Amino acid sequence: MSGDNAINLETGDFLAVHGLSKTFRGKAGDVVAVDGVDFSARKGEVVVIVGPSGSGKTTLLYLVGSLENPDAGEIEVLGEDICASGADLIAYRRERVGFVFQFFNLVTALTALENVTLPMDLSAVPPEEQRRRAVDLLERMGIDRRLQRTRANKMSGGEKQRVAIARALANDPDIILADEPTGNLDTATGMTVVDILVKLAREDGKCVLIVTHDESILEVADQAFHMVDGKLNGR
Amino acid sequence: MRSAKRGFRSFRRHPSSNLVVVLLLFVCLTFSLSMLAVKLAADSQTETVKERVGNYGEIRSSSGFMMSTFEQEREKSEAERTREARGMSEEEELEERAKTLVPEELADAFSRDPYIITYDKVLTSGVTMPGMENVELSSMLNLSREIREGAAASGITESTFVFEGNTNGASASEFLNGNKKLISGSYYTYADYREGNTVVLIEKNLAEENELVVGDTVTATISGEKGKDAELELEIVGVYETVEAERQSQGGSFATFNPAGNKFFAPLSVVQVLNNTPGYVELGSYYFDNVDHTGDLQQAFIDRTGGSDQYEFVTDFTEYEIISDPLQKVGKTSVIGLAGALGACALIILLAMAIIVGGRTRELGVLKAIGATDRQVIMQYAVEVICICLVSIILATGATALISQKIGDWLLSGSEITQVQEEEEDSGAAAMMSRLTERNLYKEGGLFASPVGEAEDAELDVVYQGDMLLYGILILLGISLLGMAIPVAWITRLRPARVLSME
Repeated sequence: MSGDNAINLETGDFLAVHGLSKTFRGKAGDVVAVDGVDFSARKGEVVVIVGPSGSGKTTLLYLVGSLENPDAGEIEVLGEDICASGADLIAYRRERVGFVFQFFNLVTALTALENVTLPMDLSAVPPEEQRRRAVDLLERMGIDRRLQRTRANKMSGGEKQRVAIARALANDPDIILADEPTGNLDTATGMTVVDILVKLAREDGKCVLIVTHDESILEVADQAFHMVDGKLNGR
Repeated sequence: MRSAKRGFRSFRRHPSSNLVVVLLLFVCLTFSLSMLAVKLAADSQTETVKERVGNYGEIRSSSGFMMSTFEQEREKSEAERTREARGMSEEEELEERAKTLVPEELADAFSRDPYIITYDKVLTSGVTMPGMENVELSSMLNLSREIREGAAASGITESTFVFEGNTNGASASEFLNGNKKLISGSYYTYADYREGNTVVLIEKNLAEENELVVGDTVTATISGEKGKDAELELEIVGVYETVEAERQSQGGSFATFNPAGNKFFAPLSVVQVLNNTPGYVELGSYYFDNVDHTGDLQQAFIDRTGGSDQYEFVTDFTEYEIISDPLQKVGKTSVIGLAGALGACALIILLAMAIIVGGRTRELGVLKAIGATDRQVIMQYAVEVICICLVSIILATGATALISQKIGDWLLSGSEITQVQEEEEDSGAAAMMSRLTERNLYKEGGLFASPVGEAEDAELDVVYQGDMLLYGILILLGISLLGMAIPVAWITRLRPARVLSME
């Protein structure tokens, strides 16, 4: 790592992205989704990236979450390049990262409680521990016992998003990646969700990366970026 | 284990879609298992048939040879016959008498073939019994002068009785097939045959008419001999009765006319003496291991007789075909049905899994996004597929128990229709002539008796066999693996980033 974006563990840099690029190749031509993006974030920080639809912010989020492979660049978490060959991306997704999506992406056939225990189940957490942690997280998100036993498809948007955040926290990850977390919610509910995410950063020391087109979220950002045509500009 | 639990939970959480798949699979699997049950039953019963039919053969003078001998004799005048007889040595006379018989040596030699399990030797002869009257024959001879003269020329009189000899009374075909039943005394034995003991079994009515009981003796005349030396005292060792005698005498043609009461059974060696043909038998009767060796035995017979057309080796292969053909046809049809039904099962599970997995693409994406390995997701879907298939096959197994017999009967009735049609097509004049000149096999009751009862009908008894369980498990594994093909292909190719962005 070199230059301005080199990770600085002394100052508490936790996540560093350097020269990250991604181009989608299609019949209609190549689309540069992310074009040489650099940024870094510390634990306890809320990083907000705003931009219009198609600007590449979701792709950037997926690259950081290892759901997409970059064409070029590095993503370092605590100095470890997750793009390097031999990196255990599944373990990274399972233990270091929690996703919050615009469309919630809960498993609709499962209850709120089961959705939250799912990542723990994949990580072979003992069933009693899964349940204890899931109940604890859901209660923190304001999901009461009755709702915990309700199937995801029977919940409101705000409830679903809170369950989704609880699921993202299930394996106690360091990084929360939120893709348009308020995009499918009314303003009041959206603000509640943003508050929860901010609390996670401030109180739990999570590194929260939010991509959104909702500029009002910028108010809570420790770092804010504007993304246009795959390029990231500081604000 | 956790993936298995998730798969089972997923199976329970999607009852409506899974129920549709289970129902469709249930229908096809029921048909598949029924066809399988029918196929296994047909195969098993064909093997059972092989144990009792198609494994019998006998060596005897060929029909063609007998016919030509008869023609030659018919063309000779009485004077020619007398002249020939006068000029013959004793050996030539014996050869002449035994012209249409089989050398005992040949019958014995053939019995040493490795496929032969049991064998017997049989000789029937018309024997004159001085002082006794064959009531039925007597009334037949009195029908017309022509018949009486024809019979006299052949040496047949009102005192002529049929003697059937074999090596052991109890194994005479008519006792074995239940046509006749010993009611008092005992059978003559193999030792009686070996030692030439002059013992005999007599029919109940004949014994009563002549006030004869076990222990009494009767006198028989040796064929072609005259004087006191020509008479043989025979001790009655047993009395038998003829079962369904009426049907027997009505059912046969003139050629097989067998008045119930006028037949004696005696050791072969005694009948050979009475027939004056020592060393000759009418037929060698053999049971071999199974019908599959018919061809080998035919070849062995040809090798032993040098291809001579004087003798023939006839078997009950036709009878075997009558019973086994419908079973084999059912077996073949059921294989086609099984293949079709399994094909339908494969199609259903493939389509169903394509629809199920397609409808849960987002769920798959979520699972992969939150760190599930392909193996974990595949295992979860594998358990779900296995649950679907397992429930279907359990239900299908139950339904198969209810309907497989009906399907088997239906298939068998279809095969029998073809058989009846074939029989109808064979009802021309040529076929009728062929049937008239046909000789019965000894196991059916001998040349002088009509076959007991009708030819056996093919029946299919569809029962659950141990193999069904094995095949059921194989089918379960097969369709489950096939059903897994779609999720495996889908899961390994799925890119969660694409799926999770979808609205």
